[in-house]
Amino acid sequence: MEMKSPFSFSLLSLALLVVASSCGPAGTTTASEPESGTGGEVKVAPDAPAAPTGEGELKGTLEVQAFKGGYGLDFYEDAAKKFSESHPDLIIKVEGNPRVWEQLKPRLVAGDPPDLMYPGWGMDHWALVADGQLMTLDAALDSPAAGGNGTWRDTFEPALLKLGQQNGRTYVLPYFFNVNGWWYDKSVFDANGWAPPQNYTELLSLCEKIKAKGIAPITYQGKYPYYMMFGMVLPWARSAGGAEVIDRMQRLEPGAWKDPAVLKAAEMIVELRDKGYFETGATAMTHTESQADFVVGKAAMIPCGTWLFSEMKDNLKSTNQLTFFLPPVLGEGKGDPGSVIVSIEPWMIPAKAKNPDAAVAYYKYMTAVGVAKRFVATKGTLTAIKGSDEGSLLPVLQEPSRIFKASGDVWSWQVRDWYKEMHTEVENALTSLLNKELTPEQFVDRCEAAAEKTRYDASIVKHTL
Amino acid sequence: MNGKAARGRFIASFLAPAFALYGIFVLWPLVQAFQISLYQWRGTSDVVRWRGLENYRELATDKVVAEAVGNNLYMLGVGGLLIFALALLFSHAVLANSRLSRAFESIALFPQVASTVVVALLWQFMFHPQFGPIPLLQKSMGLGEFESGWLATPSVALPAVTVAFVWFATGFYILLFTAGLRQIPGEVNEAATLDGCQGWRRFASVTWPLLWSIRRTAVTYLVITVMNTFALVYLMTKGAPDRRTEVMLTYLYELAFTNSEWGSASALAVVNFLLVMALAFGVRLLFRRDPTAART
Amino acid sequence: MKTARTALLVAGLLLVGLPLLWVLVASLKPSLSVISDPWGLPMPPRWANYGEAWTEARISSGFFNSLAATVGTLAILLPVGSMAAYVFARYSFRLSGPLYALMLGGMMFPIFLVIVPLFILMRQLSLLNSLPGLILVYVAFSLSFTVFVMRGFFEVIPEELAEAARMDGAGHASVFWRIMFPLSRPGLTVAGIFNAIGLWNEYGLALVLLQKPEVRTLPLAVADLSQTQQYQADFGALFAALVIVMIPLLVAYALLRHRLHEAMLAGAVKG
Repeated sequence: MEMKSPFSFSLLSLALLVVASSCGPAGTTTASEPESGTGGEVKVAPDAPAAPTGEGELKGTLEVQAFKGGYGLDFYEDAAKKFSESHPDLIIKVEGNPRVWEQLKPRLVAGDPPDLMYPGWGMDHWALVADGQLMTLDAALDSPAAGGNGTWRDTFEPALLKLGQQNGRTYVLPYFFNVNGWWYDKSVFDANGWAPPQNYTELLSLCEKIKAKGIAPITYQGKYPYYMMFGMVLPWARSAGGAEVIDRMQRLEPGAWKDPAVLKAAEMIVELRDKGYFETGATAMTHTESQADFVVGKAAMIPCGTWLFSEMKDNLKSTNQLTFFLPPVLGEGKGDPGSVIVSIEPWMIPAKAKNPDAAVAYYKYMTAVGVAKRFVATKGTLTAIKGSDEGSLLPVLQEPSRIFKASGDVWSWQVRDWYKEMHTEVENALTSLLNKELTPEQFVDRCEAAAEKTRYDASIVKHTL
Repeated sequence: MNGKAARGRFIASFLAPAFALYGIFVLWPLVQAFQISLYQWRGTSDVVRWRGLENYRELATDKVVAEAVGNNLYMLGVGGLLIFALALLFSHAVLANSRLSRAFESIALFPQVASTVVVALLWQFMFHPQFGPIPLLQKSMGLGEFESGWLATPSVALPAVTVAFVWFATGFYILLFTAGLRQIPGEVNEAATLDGCQGWRRFASVTWPLLWSIRRTAVTYLVITVMNTFALVYLMTKGAPDRRTEVMLTYLYELAFTNSEWGSASALAVVNFLLVMALAFGVRLLFRRDPTAART
Repeated sequence: MKTARTALLVAGLLLVGLPLLWVLVASLKPSLSVISDPWGLPMPPRWANYGEAWTEARISSGFFNSLAATVGTLAILLPVGSMAAYVFARYSFRLSGPLYALMLGGMMFPIFLVIVPLFILMRQLSLLNSLPGLILVYVAFSLSFTVFVMRGFFEVIPEELAEAARMDGAGHASVFWRIMFPLSRPGLTVAGIFNAIGLWNEYGLALVLLQKPEVRTLPLAVADLSQTQQYQADFGALFAALVIVMIPLLVAYALLRHRLHEAMLAGAVKG
């Protein structure tokens, strides 16, 4: 017997489809109004509930789901244990894994989310905001902090708190955060009499010296081009043209990517490539591979965030002295040379959380200075809590902490979270630039086209800086 | 006699358990996925917005979709030819039934038994620009080198991924063709030998036609496997550099999980499904007639 | 001719065997040397990788959950799939064509697309976080392939064997259970092995349908490890875990190899 025509299935399905399209998919709510065509501002779901202040009586169960990355879950579990000592009626469950967002998405759709979550990089938290899935946290932020010194809002670094806000409302909160910059190994540099470059001109002459020694001057995480966006393209564009250039890009303003400053940044990348200052093969490397080459001394410098130490700490030699420095920007640029680019790891309370009071109270406890200080000390990264970096800091954190505090221009690149499709296109264009398939002019043209497409796509929720 | 009714009852009762499970756990969610392709849905709440055929219209003009379909077809064409050539060669070699051939036969399926994670990592190292054996071989043969390694060099990334896929998939087809060759009765081969029909000629005029039904199974299965390739490509390149190795399912994954556009992702799944159906139908047309039937 | 054949087989053995060896060697290396020195030998071998993999990744409980899920699925899948395949192979009836095509359609769809609707369904049925629930889903998702394979086998079983039983007054069902099902053993071997490979390594469905740590399967445990190593760069333990996952399959395959080859000879190839 032969296989019967496979088309009968597709026809049947199409028939089902036609029937089905008259009612929405099971378990969904059809939004009553079609998406408005203006696309001008973020659509705040009107029914996003406000989180309580965490001052009620704490009982029942508190479910915390957290992304298990390089910092593990042990700190949150430990904090839960200590917190529940003073709240005997509350049971706290802390769970998570490295793909926790894949489990959380269906739970959110089904209306059965945890009470507090840190869903990790795979969750589009601005999509959650647009769908009214997160509580607003402003009432809680205006209530007293744990320990009672001032409001909870005052405990956070304002520049970092701002990254979780839209239209004056706060939806997500930072805990630890990342300072992005470059790294060198001080022991290698000292042995050769090199100093970290203060500006781009110094970078070029230093690279020449390093190359002469048979070491690759710079390596990068080519498989994930956003590292180079955060470490080179964006800081250099901001340096060349000032903060306004980046702001216009983030606002999707027409022509923003065509600014000469962006072109300059792309040309700097091309110059480094053409002079042979990048490590051979870096375009294909993962973060682990390129960082390993840096740690073992095959490459002298690498752009990376403050998480570098925690990722590599099990593989460091005793001689390694990883040291942070700001991207070597233009000596005569318009931008603030102390400008520093940061990113946060957001925590949030789902709108349908069953025990939001406990979620707020637990998170308040985590943000108490003493607890946050312990996080900094045990995990080797900085937190968004004021004062948590005081006292004895790990050597790797001293420079990031000093630079962050001294900076008069702390900023973030939110396009990556807001407009994911566009950002993928920008990253692909960057790969093609490195592969000599695009000139710097063509690179900015392609980025501009991606921005334009996003700007006119009414189905994409627009954000404001 | 109520034989007919009994027969009907029997058919129904034997199909019922399979279709009950299949209907509840596969078809019902699938129908919903079909439906989602007509909506905008972010996959993070129960809110959907009606879009009609808009998702499909966008895919039609999406250059990435065109590129991904092209890459899928490249893997099917080039990869498929390689797999078939290798499988035929090795299955003939295996027939010898020596210690060597038995040893080979026993590990031929290993790549499929191993986890895709292993296969992907392994081939990333095989092509690694610094210590990969393939670039080293290439350099030692005076063929120059790709500075970023094969997997990041636009012109050779897709061929490199295809090679990894061939390594992963060929074992199954070797076993399949070996089984087919063993099925060919000894007398047929003897008769051919007596007629002075040897080597390539015997293969072309006797063996190849007799493998007809296996070829059909193999091609059908290959179409389904290639068009649904995901994990290997995702783990090796994620579609890089700049979409050169993007396949339909990696793009679908990006639409759904990165861009939160489940409507477009579902529409792409429907397109992929129709394409597989069309190809499977094409295979059926191609193998409609049994070339051996006329002769017997 | 003979030397060409030998050369080909040796090349084949190396092409497939060396990578297998490489995985074994990598599993005994200290973490970073897997990527910084991928072709070097581990000196001395680091057996601790296995200990770390076993304890860190909850491999032991994952191992038994996976075993239960795989065996449980096959126990339902093979009879249920065979029943349907048998009917499609040997009876002609009006809806046979469309129903068979409908059944095959399931093979042609990416699973992760149905994951959200499936999760909601399983939640309504209270079947989340339960191995029996997962087994039902596994059976459903493995039916297409199983029916596709088994049908080919049922088609080639000679009708005379069934005829004799019918003469003795056996009904349709008892012909199947007494004659046909036992005779389809080669098919069951093929379907069993290929399904077992897929089920043992299955990740996407288990990830979403089993969220409680105590019911999680082996691939989830290993994926945990393989993803955590991105943040901690512990390749040695990852490869050790991968070896632990592969070994049961390789052993099962080695034991069943002859049966599998016989079986493929017997008719899987009929398609």
